[in-house]
Amino acid sequence: MEVIRAEFPFISLSMIIPIVFSLLVFFLNERFTRLLAVTGTTIVFFISLLLLYLFDYDKANSVQFYEKYPLYEEFNVYLSLGLDGLSLLMYFLTTLISLVAVVWSIRDKQITTRLKEYFAVFLLTESFLIGVFSSFDLIVFYAFYELTLIPMLFAIGVWGYKLRLYSAYKFFIYIFVSSLFLLLGIAAVAVQHYFNYGSFSFSYFDLLKNNYNTSLEIFIFLLFFIAFAVKTPIVPFHTWLPDAHGEAPTAGSVVLAAILLKMGTYALIRFNLGLFPEASLKLMPFLVALGIITIIYASWMTIVQNNVKRFVAYSSVSHMGFIVTATFLLNHEGLRASIIEMFAHGMTSASLFMIAGFIYNRLHTFNMESLRGSVRFMPLFAVITASTAFAAMGLPGGSSFWGKFLTVLSAREYSYALALMVLVGGFFSAAYMLYLLKTLFLDVREEGILIHFQDIRGFKFAAFFLLLIPILAVGFLPHLFFNMFDGSINFILKRLVGLE
Amino acid sequence: MQVNQPIEAVEFPRLDVFIPELIVLITAFVIFTLDLILSSPMKRRILPIITATGYSLSLATVILLNKLKGDTFYKSFTADHLGTVVKTFEILIALTVIVFAQKYYSSRNSFYGEFYYILSFTLAGAMILSSSYNLIVIYVALELVSIGFYILTALLRNSFISKEGAFKYLILGGLSVALASYGAVFMYIYAGSLDLREILSYKGEDQHYLILGLVLFLIGFAIKIGAVPFHFWLPDAYQGAPTPVTALMASVGKLAFFIPIVRIMPLLREEFSDVWIITVGIIAAITMIYGNMVALVQKDIKRLLAYSSIAHSGYILAGIAVTEVIGLKAVVYFLVVYTIMAAGSFFVIALLERMGNWKNLLQDLSGMRFNLPFLALSFMIYMFALLGVPPTVGFVGKTLVFMALSFDKLWWLAIVMIISTGISTGYYVRIVVLMYMKDKEKEFSLKGTNPLEIISLTFLTLLTVGLAVMPELILNLINSASESLFLR
Repeated sequence: MEVIRAEFPFISLSMIIPIVFSLLVFFLNERFTRLLAVTGTTIVFFISLLLLYLFDYDKANSVQFYEKYPLYEEFNVYLSLGLDGLSLLMYFLTTLISLVAVVWSIRDKQITTRLKEYFAVFLLTESFLIGVFSSFDLIVFYAFYELTLIPMLFAIGVWGYKLRLYSAYKFFIYIFVSSLFLLLGIAAVAVQHYFNYGSFSFSYFDLLKNNYNTSLEIFIFLLFFIAFAVKTPIVPFHTWLPDAHGEAPTAGSVVLAAILLKMGTYALIRFNLGLFPEASLKLMPFLVALGIITIIYASWMTIVQNNVKRFVAYSSVSHMGFIVTATFLLNHEGLRASIIEMFAHGMTSASLFMIAGFIYNRLHTFNMESLRGSVRFMPLFAVITASTAFAAMGLPGGSSFWGKFLTVLSAREYSYALALMVLVGGFFSAAYMLYLLKTLFLDVREEGILIHFQDIRGFKFAAFFLLLIPILAVGFLPHLFFNMFDGSINFILKRLVGLE
Repeated sequence: MQVNQPIEAVEFPRLDVFIPELIVLITAFVIFTLDLILSSPMKRRILPIITATGYSLSLATVILLNKLKGDTFYKSFTADHLGTVVKTFEILIALTVIVFAQKYYSSRNSFYGEFYYILSFTLAGAMILSSSYNLIVIYVALELVSIGFYILTALLRNSFISKEGAFKYLILGGLSVALASYGAVFMYIYAGSLDLREILSYKGEDQHYLILGLVLFLIGFAIKIGAVPFHFWLPDAYQGAPTPVTALMASVGKLAFFIPIVRIMPLLREEFSDVWIITVGIIAAITMIYGNMVALVQKDIKRLLAYSSIAHSGYILAGIAVTEVIGLKAVVYFLVVYTIMAAGSFFVIALLERMGNWKNLLQDLSGMRFNLPFLALSFMIYMFALLGVPPTVGFVGKTLVFMALSFDKLWWLAIVMIISTGISTGYYVRIVVLMYMKDKEKEFSLKGTNPLEIISLTFLTLLTVGLAVMPELILNLINSASESLFLR
């Protein structure tokens, strides 16, 4: 991988700004809290737009805006930050979703206490997430990966709903314990670098050159895989997710679903496929099977949910199943599908969680049937929900279409049976989204309980609006995105093909 | 000439490498004298100041004279890099103990001048224990430290559990010293020398003596560091002791008791390494699993931290199982930073215990963020550090241990360590959840904190993060220490 040094430290700047603003939020008067939070995230969002503009798309397989600061040189630990096409997309997603989450929270009626800490938590999360997606040093990656847990623990545990403490525990324990396997894996690859070259190294570029014998490679692959499988999550490691999402405040769920889950799939592509190509090829059938099981099982679980938030949470799991399946099909179309679906699902799941949050704000319940027949009162909200749902189920023009379509295409390269299974998964996702729309808006409401619900407006509408543009952009202009990350895909495929 | 030989053999001891210990010993004797002649109000004011001055001087000499290396007193005392690193932290923690002890004892209406000179003797013992290869000197220093701890544990007026803890500690501690010295005897029989370096490099016929001696020696120290199944005294002693003393035992005590094992580890010959890995590895595995499991059900914070201290002995022993340079680095780093985490977390409790209606129950921590935000923040940082969440020293320590274990391909031990850390998540996170996410149940307020206490606590908390973000501050020292030990 080629490295292009940054002329200006944009990435570290975009990590420092949220931290500075979170401190300002924390120490200044509560009057300024909302303003400061929105300002901070907006600035970072504009930096990410600037980087999208400055990124050299002709050299998309190289790591650009690269910065390197020594942390501990004896073990070759550097704070090395950079963006290739794949990380750039995730970086953009992070800044966008953080802005959306903060804008949404301005008028969130659930957030009544400890307002300063609330916004500080989200600003810190943004900073750590940028660290996750831009670090090319494994130990630094791990540090940020773990650091994101702490603000999320607080977001769930302090501002969550009834079962918040239980869910916060469960969330932390699941992810922390699974990532200890990752830490062991990282230690093992660094030690392997020592055995190969005589010095420890945690740098991604150095570790690409490692040689393993097959059994060790599979073992380390599995150590990495356990951590990311729990994070993603892949069935049967998914049980933390409905609880965490179900109890987190709306903005927390938005960040969790849209970005934190993507850390798992991003890392699967970046580290599992990048560092252990041989093991990936060996384990591929098993992993694809896990992906398909995730799709189908989570879809079934989605349809029977009565709680809107848990419904959206399970639908997230099934979408993550698509991403995992597509990733481990290990061909060009599959990886394209996986990455674009990561971005697309970031948009739609954020939007769906805000829909659930909106329902709770108006009705103080997550029961799906409580809203039935409301299309009369809230036409705008119904339109937003419908467009999000259609985008999520994979209607052409919506963002998820390309992900699902390309997954089917790439599965077809192996066998029609596999393609059919993915199609069935797609069918299920259409089924549950339509069921959601029907229950929320179209069922007939009993007369007599006539409540006037106010339609969506103001900052909440702005939050949805921010998401609408990228959703349509992915649907109609996918080649823009493919251009961005084809370089990263080619790099990984070269490593895989080189072995075949 | 025959007659001259014994005269030539009498060397004049090099006192320059012994200066730090000497200063602490002199401090101890000065305080001992002053304690006899001064009036009680004078003692309260003067003794802490003199003690702190003595320790600061000693700390300064440790740092300034870090270039002076070598043996003295007929090779029974060795100054080396490892000793420098360890002594720096021992004195540092002892200094903070003085800061916290003063108010703690006055809040309990018990002031003892004895505290200061016994503390100094204990510290001197710990420093000598950290820099000797000679079995006799190790034995004497071990006794010095242990007896100091027995007395310090019991030194609390009107407290039954303090006496109970001290008594348990005395009995099991006595057993440990007996076992260690018995082991030393067998090692002497094997090699005819008291120097561990000579014993372990000696290739004698009858290796049973060496193995028996090593095993007994190891068990003796295993009791002291609280390795399972020799840990029974530890929770009671930690709970019963005055909390600043608990902090001292968990940090300086643990550090000093580990060092002789750390010194044996690089000297082991290849043929013993398999046996060593199995023995130490299994003790480590049992220790960490047991410590964490039992900590999970504790209701008393001090007992909880005591069991967490047992579990940490397990993590450190896991590093000791790896007889490679990286293992030694991991062990020394983890040991040194564990002193900071342990001392810091016990100091927070020492501050809390000063409040009238504080019962040391976990439940009392509820909503501490609203009552005492600064203490809650630092306690949270210590909890995350003990758990091993980045960017804290606990995380770097665990990473180093994992690296060491994968260096020797000890995957089973690594998996056990992951599982036991997973168990520990339960109680560390519970404390954080209680402090930050529950509503407060009682009103607590802390009156009359000494600014020095706040400064020390802040300093330790900053070290907890700083030594992880900038590890070269300490890892370079540790590197040279561990590499020089392996050169022998």
